[in-house]
Amino acid sequence: MSEPSAARGRRRAQILVVSAIVASLALVGVYLAAGGSSYTPEKTQDPCQHRPWRDPEGLDEIAEQFSLSALDGAACKLGVSRETLVQALATPEARERFGDRYGIDEAELARAIRAGLLRAISDAEEAGALSPLLAAPLRGTIKDIPLDQAIELIQNARSLLDTAQSFLGPAEGLLETLLP
Amino acid sequence: MSAAPRPRVAALALAVGLVLADSSVVVLALPEIYRELDTSVSGVTWVLVSFNLVMALAAVPAALIARRVGPGRTAAVGLAIFAGAGLACGLSDQLSTLVLARCVQAVGGAAAVTASLELLPASVGSERRAAAIWAAAGATGAALGPAIGGLLTELVSWQSIFLIQVPIALAAAVPILAVAKHEAATGILPTELRRTGRPHLWANLALAMVSAAIAAALFLLVLLLIEGWRLSPIGAALVVTVMPLAAILGSRLGNFVPSARGRAAAGAILVSGGLAGLGFLPKAEVALTVPPQILIGLGLSLVLSALTETALSGRAPQAIHGGWTISARHAGVVIGLLALTPIFTADIAQQRHDAIDAGTAVVLDARVSPLLKIELAQRLASRLEGEKGKVPTIGPAFEPLPSDPGDREDVEVLRGELQDQLDRGATHAFSLSFLLGALLGLIALFPIALSRRVEL
Repeated sequence: MSEPSAARGRRRAQILVVSAIVASLALVGVYLAAGGSSYTPEKTQDPCQHRPWRDPEGLDEIAEQFSLSALDGAACKLGVSRETLVQALATPEARERFGDRYGIDEAELARAIRAGLLRAISDAEEAGALSPLLAAPLRGTIKDIPLDQAIELIQNARSLLDTAQSFLGPAEGLLETLLP
Repeated sequence: MSAAPRPRVAALALAVGLVLADSSVVVLALPEIYRELDTSVSGVTWVLVSFNLVMALAAVPAALIARRVGPGRTAAVGLAIFAGAGLACGLSDQLSTLVLARCVQAVGGAAAVTASLELLPASVGSERRAAAIWAAAGATGAALGPAIGGLLTELVSWQSIFLIQVPIALAAAVPILAVAKHEAATGILPTELRRTGRPHLWANLALAMVSAAIAAALFLLVLLLIEGWRLSPIGAALVVTVMPLAAILGSRLGNFVPSARGRAAAGAILVSGGLAGLGFLPKAEVALTVPPQILIGLGLSLVLSALTETALSGRAPQAIHGGWTISARHAGVVIGLLALTPIFTADIAQQRHDAIDAGTAVVLDARVSPLLKIELAQRLASRLEGEKGKVPTIGPAFEPLPSDPGDREDVEVLRGELQDQLDRGATHAFSLSFLLGALLGLIALFPIALSRRVEL
């Protein structure tokens, strides 16, 4: 290769390498600026931190908020996320896998869920969604209930609220009056 | 020799293209094989790894055999073995038999590819031109492989990828049989008498590293598209065709730069840049994979041709040194797959867990009516259970949509948010592996800096 063409060849090689560096850095820079390093699943919230209740519109909504508070309370007690606990309570098999994975036996799970239900009653009271008149019998109801029943109450808190109504007598519509 | 040179050159090029396409042709079929043979991601990786590992180990011994018993006979027998093993692959209904057949296929393929490089100079008149045809045939095969594989998987089945190779390999063997017969009648063709020198250490080392990075790019991108983002094999084939198209552009670009080291360095940087781009995807959008793929495609054609040229220049016999380059490239693919698969499988398990947690949070906090929420949660749980650890498809869990317009809108919002969390998990699961692939490409710059081309 002659001297000028060798120099031209070197210059072209340099231009090619510099262009490659610029193109690569530009691509990575643009993707990072567009959020490339934070495109990950959102982190779940700490269940031990209090979550404010949404404005309840009816008994079903109160029951839902109650269940979520109960889940938070139980998950906080067990040291797992609320979401992990929900998945664990979906089926008996999932519950077994959860127990094996986290080394939690049925008794511990039952204690945690009862604690969660108690926290939900307090949260409901604090949110003004549950009258203290109802809270007391509810606490009494869940104090010693077995695990399966406790899980059922979390999954269907409406039944718990209906049970509370029975403590107050058969008066029709009383529960709806006591709940905002 | 009785066969006319032109059909023989075409047959040799076809043989090289067919064999080198085989490591990439199967990439798009892997998710289908993964599901049909009910295996794991690590397990299905062996369909690729076994072929590349045996190619890496068999390439140089195959070249030595070709020089000893005759390249015509070696190529013809190699193609026959390749065809027979292809038939066995197509009939496999278990991962173990498929992997075994792939190993045998690689032995035949290594013999056919290295013997072809020995046969080509006699047909085209010069070693340099023979090496160029050989490299171009291999690159074309590797470039077309994924698209053909995706097409066949979607339109017919993954088995058809292997079954279609049988008649093609046999057709390629026919013109070569004439050379084999000639060798049997007259003895081995006169071959290069120069002593076999040492292989080009730095060029082959760089080839191995860059091949590891490129294998990571192709394998991981296809898995991300099909398993993570739920594209069909044909859709994924269309998407990854960007890479070979960019590679064609890259080879034209390379013609303007005589310095092999300059081309190799630029190529390695572009491959790394593209992989880093895939590692930092800001969204689960197919269009966002196009710019990184363009960089990878441009880079791979520049770096592979420059390093192969460097490894072969001034070295004889070409078949043996061609064998070393095949060996280095396929060893690199194996290293890339074996090193990155465990990392990405562990990541995908963790990300799946995080995505499901995030998705559960979305469902729990959604503003749909509690009763509907419970029903949806149950349908979603049964879908997750049914997917057995794979990235779940959530769409069917939302069908049929509620008839009430308000509920319908809320459910659609929920479905979008849930899908977003799963997309985030699936995409992020591949990030670390892409970034490690980018690092491998950058490390290859060291042997590239040390490599010098020897002029004949």
